[in-house]
Amino acid sequence: MIVSTLPIWFVDMAGSVFMILFSFMSIRLVRLIYRSDPNSIIWTYLTWVCYCLAGFAISRSAGHILKQILFLMDRNEVWDGIRPFSGSINTFMLIIVSSVTLFFQRAWHIYQEISRDKEALQTAHTELLSLNQNLEQRVKERTEALALHEKQMAQADKLASIGQLSSGIAHEINNPLGIILGYTQLLLRSEDPESQKHEDLKTIEKHVKSCKTTVEDLLNFARSSKPKKEFFNIHETIDDVLNFVRHRSDMHGMFMDRRYGPEVPRMLMDEKKIKQVLINLLMNAKHAVGETGAITVATAYDSERDRVSVMVQDTGYGIEKKNFSRIFDPFFTTKPTGEGTGLGLAVSYGIVKTHGGDLLVESDPGKGSTFTMVLPVGGKRE
Amino acid sequence: MRRWVSGASAVALILMPTAALATQGHGDPEGLVVHQMSHIFFVFSMGILIYWLRARDLVRHVGWRYIQYSSVFFIFWTLDAFTVHLLDEGMGIIQVTRIDPWHLRIESPPGLGWVKVLYYAVKLDHLLCVPGLMFLYLGIKRLLKESRQAEGGIRYEEEIS
Repeated sequence: MIVSTLPIWFVDMAGSVFMILFSFMSIRLVRLIYRSDPNSIIWTYLTWVCYCLAGFAISRSAGHILKQILFLMDRNEVWDGIRPFSGSINTFMLIIVSSVTLFFQRAWHIYQEISRDKEALQTAHTELLSLNQNLEQRVKERTEALALHEKQMAQADKLASIGQLSSGIAHEINNPLGIILGYTQLLLRSEDPESQKHEDLKTIEKHVKSCKTTVEDLLNFARSSKPKKEFFNIHETIDDVLNFVRHRSDMHGMFMDRRYGPEVPRMLMDEKKIKQVLINLLMNAKHAVGETGAITVATAYDSERDRVSVMVQDTGYGIEKKNFSRIFDPFFTTKPTGEGTGLGLAVSYGIVKTHGGDLLVESDPGKGSTFTMVLPVGGKRE
Repeated sequence: MRRWVSGASAVALILMPTAALATQGHGDPEGLVVHQMSHIFFVFSMGILIYWLRARDLVRHVGWRYIQYSSVFFIFWTLDAFTVHLLDEGMGIIQVTRIDPWHLRIESPPGLGWVKVLYYAVKLDHLLCVPGLMFLYLGIKRLLKESRQAEGGIRYEEEIS
């Protein structure tokens, strides 16, 4: 079979030129990409591949072009001399490209492990540096937290001591007060209601009742009276208390907001006592707000701890820092004489503690206060 | 006595060399064998590269997909070149004679006429290796573009780790 060499010659020559052209264009681009991130193992690999393929293309294509020219010039013996070198370089370049590709896989795994170790070391270094830099701050924070905790413990101790003392005094006073009240009411029966003596006895009765209320408050604070627990809906209780407070005080210029949380369960506790706490907190909030302002009552249920939070927030004048540690002390009040006994918060604190809860307070002087009653749901749900 | 025997043996080995003890010769077919082995090695490595690109899902990037196509063309090209070398120098089943600068005579044993057509076709191997290099160039061009588009360059190491 006799065939034309023209197609072979043409494809060989044009192909050789394109091989050299594309290999050099690839090198130009891969150098640019390599410079963008010289540490990248992928770009390093591609650079090697491009250089080796360029070496292969030059050796092979230049050889092919030279071979065709020498054949046309009838100088085959010159090509016979060059051929072994051209072929060897081709073989050599193919082996390098193949080796680089194969070892790239292994180098890749090693590189990955080194990168992971480097990252772990950098993280540890950053953490150590951060720890070193923030150590002083952290010690300060911990010291402050410890001091606050100690202060809270001291406050709790103080309230417990006052509670014991109050309880003892209240017991001693309660019985004579009962006798005085009984005899006063007995004497009142036999007196003419229009007489001066009847009026005097009424005054005695009124003040004895007032003393008894104070004594009961003290007993509540001292947790001496056992709560009568029953299941109730806290939202209904709050509504009752809000209606009661509205009727009792002038709250026309005030904005009342109720934000009841979802899924708040019925609670097992002494509803009357909880009502008393709510009245105390709302009356305090009203007093703090004055003529105009806002009071928000909100509830939330923490299912993880099985506790309900009842929050009473006001936009009043807040609590001054110097008074903060004393607000739960019995007989401590900032209200004018005659407007408050100073037992409201103390009694509320006692009631909440009796129910296994906590009464928390946050205040920003001039902006308002937030009292949060955290209560356990208690008992088996209905 | 032992020292004397060792010395005598060493002298005998130096004075009476044999072919087996001399440096190995590298005759004519060795070059072809090495070259053919390099082609096989190249096919293997390109196959591994394709596997690696696909295993790490890099081929979803256009640039790496072009590099994959480049590897496929190089595999076909190297199989083509392997066949040419085999027919030209290895098997001796065809006889090629240059009649003039523009014509060749290809002869084959009776019954193997198709080998002549195959030989002529595989001689046009640039039709495979040029697209291979072209796709490599296009792949790198695309990777460079992506690298420039992403601020600070694309870290494929992070992406595929």
